[in-house]
Amino acid sequence: MPPDPTVAEAAPRANATTPRLGSAAFVTLIGGVVLLATLETAQALLAPSRAPTKADWTAAAAEVRAGLQSGDLIVAAPAWADPQVRMVLGDVISIPMATRMDDARYGRVWELAVHGAHADEAHGTATRERRFGAVTVRLVERPPAVVTYDFLEHWNEASVWRWDPAARAATACPWQGERFTCASGGSVHRELVEVDTRIRRGLLAPPVTGAILAIEFPAVPLGRELVLAAGLHDVWARKYANGTVNVEVWIDGQPVRNATIGNRSGWQSLTVDTSARAGQTRPVRVQIASPQPNLRHLAFAAEARR
Amino acid sequence: MTIRARDRWIGLGLFFGVVACLLASEGGQGFGRDEGQYMRAGERYWGWFEELARDVHEGHPTRAFSAASIDRYWSDNAPDHPVIMKTLYGLSWRAFHRCTCTGPARGLHPIPVRGRHVSLPLFVRDSTAFRFPAMLMAGLLAWLVFRFARAFLPVPAAAAASVLTIAQPHYFFHAPIACFDAPITTMAFAVGFAYWKSLRSARWGLASGAVFGLALGVKHNAWLMPFFLALHYLWMRRGDLRRWRPPRVPLAFVSMALAGPVVFFLHWPWLWHHPVDRTRSYLLRHLEHEHYNFEYLGRNWNLPPTDGDLKLLRATFPFVSTALTVPVTTLALAVIGAAVLARRRCKAATNQAWTPADDTTLFEGDAAPAGRSDVAMPVAAPLGASWLRPGVDVDRAPGAFIAVQALGPLAILSLPSTPIFGGVKHFMPAMPYVAIAAAVGLAFLTERGLAALRARWGLERRERGLAAALAVWVCLPAVVETRRSHPDGLSHYNMLAGGFAGGASLGMNRQFWAYCVLPMLDWVNSHPAEHGRMYWHDVLGDALSMYKREGRLAMSVGDTGFAEPGVDRSAMGVLVEEKHWALYEKFIWEHYGHLRPSLVRDREGVPLVLGYQRKGPP
Repeated sequence: MPPDPTVAEAAPRANATTPRLGSAAFVTLIGGVVLLATLETAQALLAPSRAPTKADWTAAAAEVRAGLQSGDLIVAAPAWADPQVRMVLGDVISIPMATRMDDARYGRVWELAVHGAHADEAHGTATRERRFGAVTVRLVERPPAVVTYDFLEHWNEASVWRWDPAARAATACPWQGERFTCASGGSVHRELVEVDTRIRRGLLAPPVTGAILAIEFPAVPLGRELVLAAGLHDVWARKYANGTVNVEVWIDGQPVRNATIGNRSGWQSLTVDTSARAGQTRPVRVQIASPQPNLRHLAFAAEARR
Repeated sequence: MTIRARDRWIGLGLFFGVVACLLASEGGQGFGRDEGQYMRAGERYWGWFEELARDVHEGHPTRAFSAASIDRYWSDNAPDHPVIMKTLYGLSWRAFHRCTCTGPARGLHPIPVRGRHVSLPLFVRDSTAFRFPAMLMAGLLAWLVFRFARAFLPVPAAAAASVLTIAQPHYFFHAPIACFDAPITTMAFAVGFAYWKSLRSARWGLASGAVFGLALGVKHNAWLMPFFLALHYLWMRRGDLRRWRPPRVPLAFVSMALAGPVVFFLHWPWLWHHPVDRTRSYLLRHLEHEHYNFEYLGRNWNLPPTDGDLKLLRATFPFVSTALTVPVTTLALAVIGAAVLARRRCKAATNQAWTPADDTTLFEGDAAPAGRSDVAMPVAAPLGASWLRPGVDVDRAPGAFIAVQALGPLAILSLPSTPIFGGVKHFMPAMPYVAIAAAVGLAFLTERGLAALRARWGLERRERGLAAALAVWVCLPAVVETRRSHPDGLSHYNMLAGGFAGGASLGMNRQFWAYCVLPMLDWVNSHPAEHGRMYWHDVLGDALSMYKREGRLAMSVGDTGFAEPGVDRSAMGVLVEEKHWALYEKFIWEHYGHLRPSLVRDREGVPLVLGYQRKGPP
């Protein structure tokens, strides 16, 4: 390396100041840094050994299997641990359970948790709790909602049509193969959807241009409430389009609730109080429309609950 | 041994130490989408040199310079990125790989293999040979940081600056791979270094242009460097502004404006026949770059936000990411160092007996003879500045220099319109300056601590040892944390976040571009009945070719293609765990009829890649 013309050896410089000895702030500062470095090093060395192992997951899964009852919900906490739970219990976690609309119908929830986390679904009274290494298994019980009508299970009982406001005409969308299909555009079918980067099961009913898409369930046994959840399917569609979708719930020919669903809505839940009609069987219609329907893959699920 | 010689040896030690660490560890890192493409492009660029040699041999040396010949090779990965690093990757591969090129993987090369290559087989794997120049660039950064820091700091702190630059999990992840983010970090530092020296040396002023041109040839981050330097320059010469005199345009900027574009044009053959159109398309490629998906604080970001609350949240991205990825001790020291540098500015403004040497004095008491007598200091250059040496009559404001170099890249990434899909790598040029600020904090603590010990207990003879011990102690967490993170530095978060698991719980990005599948390859290889119909999700064909060329993936492994049709055709597959890929897991659940992965590859419990089989786990 050639000598650098901008740099020369320095002569020893005089000590400019006498440090303030015993300065509490300085001692705290340097002590704090040394302590921090020690803690951080120790944490980096020890943390990997505190992570859950495959054996922990397997033992936790055995505990769940031993007490599992039909209709139990199994969840992971935090949510990012879900694949680990599915790897060891995926044979008893059905796709409908994993893609549920919400957790209200489940009276018993098995939570497999790491790092002291708790799942939103695991609310209620903890009736069992055991630790397997880094994994904690907790059984939570609470009164479940009784579903009087699951719209997804009865979706092929629905009738679907397009309402064209300009022509003031309704056109039926008949059942064709595995979906309702409208001759002039539009379809409704049940499938797995990705809403807000989570997989759900829903009726995929994208809005159509210049018309209202209506899905009517002719005989819904109503209970205390009707819950509908809706959102926009497909991460790419949410990226490349930004229109909103209006979702209206009609009961017995009357609008009772509506919501505007957009890219930020996530899986939005609407609750309709049906206690005045509890025990009655009534038609329920979901109407879907959008001023900008391009790439608006609206999906919804709904339940009537006692 | 003279001080210069000792510094030279330490600098070399840091250089070789970094290269050795990277060589020892890079084999655990898989190939991402981008790296596979750059390796392919580098080998193809080498093909042009082969053709040039053939043309020269046949007496037609100009044939390789025809538009058709150039485009045949140099259109690969254009207009995405200029070609200095890719060319070095290709040349390094050609020079240092162990040739098995005529074996079963012969057809996987992007250019025809005409026979066994004669090479210096330094590396077992092709990929190591491709990556070697990137590792050298990381070593160069370690050396440059040490050399720059030595202008201000004693040896232990300067060496700590170098170590803390490299010992950052995200930087260390990017350092060995055949991409551009670590190399542009080196070049950004080199440009800053040359500019800094140019303030008092015309020779460095000329060199600044060449260095800037080379930076332009590495990655487009270089476009921003002059703006950061201009900010510092205006601050440094703020006295001129106060007197309503415009500061002289320094030689470094003139040199960068003239030599930069020339070097950029000359280095990239793809530009030669259509300089205007193709330069334009290169600029537009990046000015209009798509926003790929990226998770930040639990949200998936793939567009510039338009809502006010999201703009605000998005603006925090580089600062929060820095706070959650850089080792905490490094951050704490950097805060102390920043305070020291800020306090220095206030004192400098009141110092009447100023000499040019003073701008290497960073804090009061910064010259204790026992600890600091070896500090290299600027010569007291003759007063009377000119555009050739515009920093001889003023304090060069090292604090402002470090501040603009550290905060500039972060500020750019805080603009909501800027894509953030690369995470930390997009503002990595800030990190050496964060490390230098940390070293300033370390030097301050050391100096004050030693002075206190000296006064109270008279420990003069042990001062050097104590200073070195403190430097080692504060570097330890960064080194251990970096070691812990490897080879999944992208998924790593610091103690504040809570490590891998804490980062996942905070909704911080876990990874991108499928670097993480390497540990899945044995599982794929072990299912010969199914892996002919393999769905590779986010892993590109270039990466698969390289895995096969290196014998890490069986030649019988297939690739059913992208998205839902790819899943539909497959018998098994992998799924990279990123927030936006839920859509693709849906395809797997639908087509395979179950949701149970056969294998979950995780780090400290955090899933990174899932392996699925259509028939379900055994």
